[in-house]
Amino acid sequence: MTVNTTGSAVDGRHFDVIIVGSGWAGSLLARHLGRQNWRVLVLEAGNGGTDTWEGFQDTVRTFSAAVVKASNAAYRTSAAAPFPDVLDLRSTGPSSYTTSGHFEQTGPFPYAGDYLRALGGTGMHWFGAVPRMFPEDFATRTNFGYGADWPVTAMDLERHVREAELLIGTAGDGAEQHRLGVVADPEYQYPMEEIPPSYLDARFHRLLDGRSVTDKIAESAYTLQVYGLPQARNSTPNPAWDDGSGNPYRPRGAVGMPNFGERCVGNASCTPICPVQAKSHPLRLQQDFTDSVRLATRCVVSRVLPGRGGTVRGVEFREYGDPATPSSRPYTVEADIVVLAAHSIENAVLLLASGMANSSGNVGRHLMDHPTLLAWAEMPANDPVGAFRGPGHTSGLECFRTGQGRRKRAPFRIEISNWGWGWSTGAPLSSVARMLGLGGDANGEVRHGGYFGPKLRRDLGQQVNRQIQLQIAMEQHAERNNRVTIDPARYRDGMGNPRPIIHYDLDHRVKDGLYAAREVSKAIFKLLNATDHTNLGVQDDGSHPLGYFTHTPGGDLPPQDLGYRGPGHAAGTHIMGTRKSTSVVDADQRTHDHPNLYAVGCGSMPSIGTSNPTLTMAALALRSAERIHRDLAELHQPVTVATSHLAGKRAAE
Amino acid sequence: MTDGTNAGAAAPNADTHLEAPSAPLERFVRLCVPLTGFSAFDLHGTGMAPLYLDTTRRELGEGHLENFLSRWEQAQAEGKGPAELPPTEREIARALVYLWYTGAWPRIAPAVHAELRRDRPNGESMASATSYPEGLVWRAFGGHPGGAKPPGFGTWSYPPPTLPTEAEIAESITQSAATATRPYDPTAYGALANLLDEESVPPHLLPGACVTRSVPPSAVPCAAPPPETGSGSPAKDVSER
Ligand SMILES: Cc1cc2nc3c(=O)[nH]c(=O)nc-3n(C[C@H](O)[C@H](O)[C@H](O)COP(=O)(O)OP(=O)(O)OC[C@H]3O[C@@H](n4cnc5c(N)ncnc54)[C@H](O)[C@@H]3O)c2cc1C
Ligand code: SF4
Repeated sequence: MTVNTTGSAVDGRHFDVIIVGSGWAGSLLARHLGRQNWRVLVLEAGNGGTDTWEGFQDTVRTFSAAVVKASNAAYRTSAAAPFPDVLDLRSTGPSSYTTSGHFEQTGPFPYAGDYLRALGGTGMHWFGAVPRMFPEDFATRTNFGYGADWPVTAMDLERHVREAELLIGTAGDGAEQHRLGVVADPEYQYPMEEIPPSYLDARFHRLLDGRSVTDKIAESAYTLQVYGLPQARNSTPNPAWDDGSGNPYRPRGAVGMPNFGERCVGNASCTPICPVQAKSHPLRLQQDFTDSVRLATRCVVSRVLPGRGGTVRGVEFREYGDPATPSSRPYTVEADIVVLAAHSIENAVLLLASGMANSSGNVGRHLMDHPTLLAWAEMPANDPVGAFRGPGHTSGLECFRTGQGRRKRAPFRIEISNWGWGWSTGAPLSSVARMLGLGGDANGEVRHGGYFGPKLRRDLGQQVNRQIQLQIAMEQHAERNNRVTIDPARYRDGMGNPRPIIHYDLDHRVKDGLYAAREVSKAIFKLLNATDHTNLGVQDDGSHPLGYFTHTPGGDLPPQDLGYRGPGHAAGTHIMGTRKSTSVVDADQRTHDHPNLYAVGCGSMPSIGTSNPTLTMAALALRSAERIHRDLAELHQPVTVATSHLAGKRAAE
Repeated sequence: MTDGTNAGAAAPNADTHLEAPSAPLERFVRLCVPLTGFSAFDLHGTGMAPLYLDTTRRELGEGHLENFLSRWEQAQAEGKGPAELPPTEREIARALVYLWYTGAWPRIAPAVHAELRRDRPNGESMASATSYPEGLVWRAFGGHPGGAKPPGFGTWSYPPPTLPTEAEIAESITQSAATATRPYDPTAYGALANLLDEESVPPHLLPGACVTRSVPPSAVPCAAPPPETGSGSPAKDVSER
């Protein structure tokens, strides 16, 4: 158990650092600073319990009982610390939608991702893909004329990326990632050998490697090559990995159950939940917390408290007893340094609610995700690939992520899904319903046809094993108007905290990218000899998928039905930069406006390329931890001076 | 298990663990064999039979359940297959198969929902937290339920297993049902006479896009509208209302 204090117990006390949030960002920072003996308080809004074996099993049961196994399916809703759910959104017609729940949404398109407010944060239900960003991703403005540049380069972050790969626990093929161009060192070793690629990946290798696909939007031909995906998932320890200690790498397993979960066993449910905990999550790091780290759950921070001369003094929070009701008590706690690690969207809400760090007017702006086009098809009858096996995806096609094509359209990464048509159609459960002819026709009358018995079992089995799906994730660059705001007079949660209001849109670069991605998917399906079943437009019952639109990039290209899903890679709400007028935090994630207030997480990223953001974000958190350590050491200098003074005296004697 | 063991409570030895299935349970399972394409051994093997009988009873009401079972029994005695049931019974049969295949009771055709005057909302619900991993759909394609019964490290690198043929499945279930009144005829199980040798399932029997994540699996649209009545219509679909 890592939860070792309560809100009331810390009321009025002073710590060296307060960290708001116990996700990847907060846990990495707390672990690091605790090891340097700083007195750290982590305030976590959500419920705990998963840090014991029994508690974790309870979430697995909740997942099993859920009809729709969406990303938050393993976690109960909370009235006290509510969080968004992908089930909150409904499509109400072509390009129109409604939302309920934690978010208000005002944009033409929905922000279609979620997050989790519970111990460990969104890192509990993340998928665990940890690809590095390309060096060119850090300077899209300079290189390609769009988006915002970072104040640091890939090289600047390299050391911390390696450390993050170790702490998160990453399986990958260093040499292959070097060939791809994201790892500089040709000899680089991940702590664990790559997660075995799926049989489907092998078929893609066979059928696609070396083949050429023309992207008419980028006006360029690309040579396909399947690459393995680095993953935060337990695999075989890499014998070539060496941290200088002489000890081999030992995979970290389940919390509260030693020696369990040290290998991924193919549960094939990484999101929402890995039942054996072979998929890494932040509770692993929390187990390493030293005694100087205190962690309290069910403590929702409502405001950062101003101190003297532009500094901050601490935070105000409310502690609740029962997640089902928002009744709670207010407390305050103080610290030399306050770190917001509450998720990019909640960080923005907290800064806005506190009226802080916003001299640039950029708090909440530049919200980004990876809008993802799904394309699905059926392999030939003589080439079944076996869907719904292994981790959600183990390989991808990377060639559309880099290069001059980025001047014409958003770059994209193609994930090869191992879970058939799951994300796009709800298969295999929906396959059962449809093959039976269940549920009635447009008039509610019983449908004709449908299969039963041996016919059903055989054709269903056969069909499902032929399902393939591409998940094509676009880079979305920072745009001022994609933003999080608050309106406390109108939109508050049960506890009285402001709810996020989100305005989200897709610009023409992203739409052109989605168009190109759809065209590329058609070409790939042809090369695979697969039958395309993608339908992003109107469905047989008259409904339109959420995120639907039609688009043409211009010229003689015909308009086509497009759409996107939101993977929930929220970034960019307090972007970093060198200038106070255009950015919220500096390259160490310290707010420009308040010397002892940090905002950490994906919110600091000025761009996210086509890489799932957490690895890079974790590297930033480790970088900030070093800076905070230096800040604290400086603040506590009298001690150091006294010591050196004493030392000097002793030497003189 | 939750309330699912009530069905067993009707049996004389309710408190012994290895009790023989009650007669109503035996009958229920026997009648589900040709619907699902899984043998009585497989169905009992899920451990869910008492729960599913109970769920069905709760969803339909005792009277409608009994009606359905006896009509289906009679249809079988007349040598008919499930595809040849009248619409209401056919929809109930589909719901039952869905329950066995997924562990959840589905949303059914609104017309049937209304006709049965059900006292519950017409939505999809999991029979219990333990039923999901016992769904037969996973076995139908030689896989395992997402989030349960993991097959082991690296197994996903191997080709998928070979599945039994339709004839092999038919054989295995007629052996166990022992009530076969005519040789297996795919059209009685929904095969379209004009598509018997097709390798691919026609699009109207495949799922379309899940338009939002909140749509339960049983309410996902079809990939295509059903074929026009006439040329492509089911061979023996005689008894529409
Ligand atoms: C479905 C899904 C799949 C994903 N898969 C991947 C992937 O494969 N690879 C990848 O790189 N990224 C992935 N992501 C993104 C990834 O999950 C996030 O980038 C990452 O978890 C963010 O970590 P964080 O610590 O910044 O925020 P979080 O993990 O969200 O943690 C924030 C914490 O702060 C707490 N908190 C919030 N508000 C308050 C408050 N007011 N007071 C106190 N505490 C508060 C929350 O309860 C939470 O515990 C995925 C996201 C989703 C939604
Ligand atoms: S495939 Fe299974 S065991 Fe492996 S990480 Fe995903 S859920 Fe866990």
